[in-house]
Amino acid sequence: MILGRVVGEVWATKKHPALDGRKLLIIAPYLWYAPSHETANLVAVDALGAGIGEDVVVCMGDPARRSLGSTSMPVEAAVCAIVDRVELSSDRGQRPLTFLGGRAPAHDAVTP
Amino acid sequence: MRLARVVGAVWGARHASGLDGAKLLTVESSNGGRVTAIDRLGAGVGDRVLVAHGTRVRDLTVGETVALKDVIVAIVDGVDDAEGDGVDEAGA
Repeated sequence: MILGRVVGEVWATKKHPALDGRKLLIIAPYLWYAPSHETANLVAVDALGAGIGEDVVVCMGDPARRSLGSTSMPVEAAVCAIVDRVELSSDRGQRPLTFLGGRAPAHDAVTP
Repeated sequence: MRLARVVGAVWGARHASGLDGAKLLTVESSNGGRVTAIDRLGAGVGDRVLVAHGTRVRDLTVGETVALKDVIVAIVDGVDDAEGDGVDEAGA
């Protein structure tokens, strides 16, 4: 799982049928929680109703499909929690959370 | 999954048997990374698309015989992001 912030939403009419009715969010991963192969924002399916500016936990891979109730969706990332608060240990708590790529998205939803 | 823009098409007369009849498009995400993905939705050059990656995604969409792991799963109509700009600035 990774921690990231919702920075956008995507609409698509023409898509794989399994994505019908699914909400697609653009997620900017926090640097420390991003998988090593991620180099940019990612798109995740949202079944919880997260909005732009909120911080979320995104699960990746097969667990993401399972969390959506189907293993037959061509999906590799899903929002599995909307973050209320983040608490960090003291050695990291003094430093601000940074985003992958360095540029902070708009909105300061969570200040740990 | 990532947002990307279609920048070109790829043809090859001689290809792996699983790619018979497949339409291959080169897509570029805003960080400049390019991959070639298989397209069954009819995307064209300039279209913004959603690209999913992985063997499971490939198996579920285009079949196990396709020798590619990147699949175009949606053609994007619109993007609403925090800065109010498009896919390129969304960094996806």
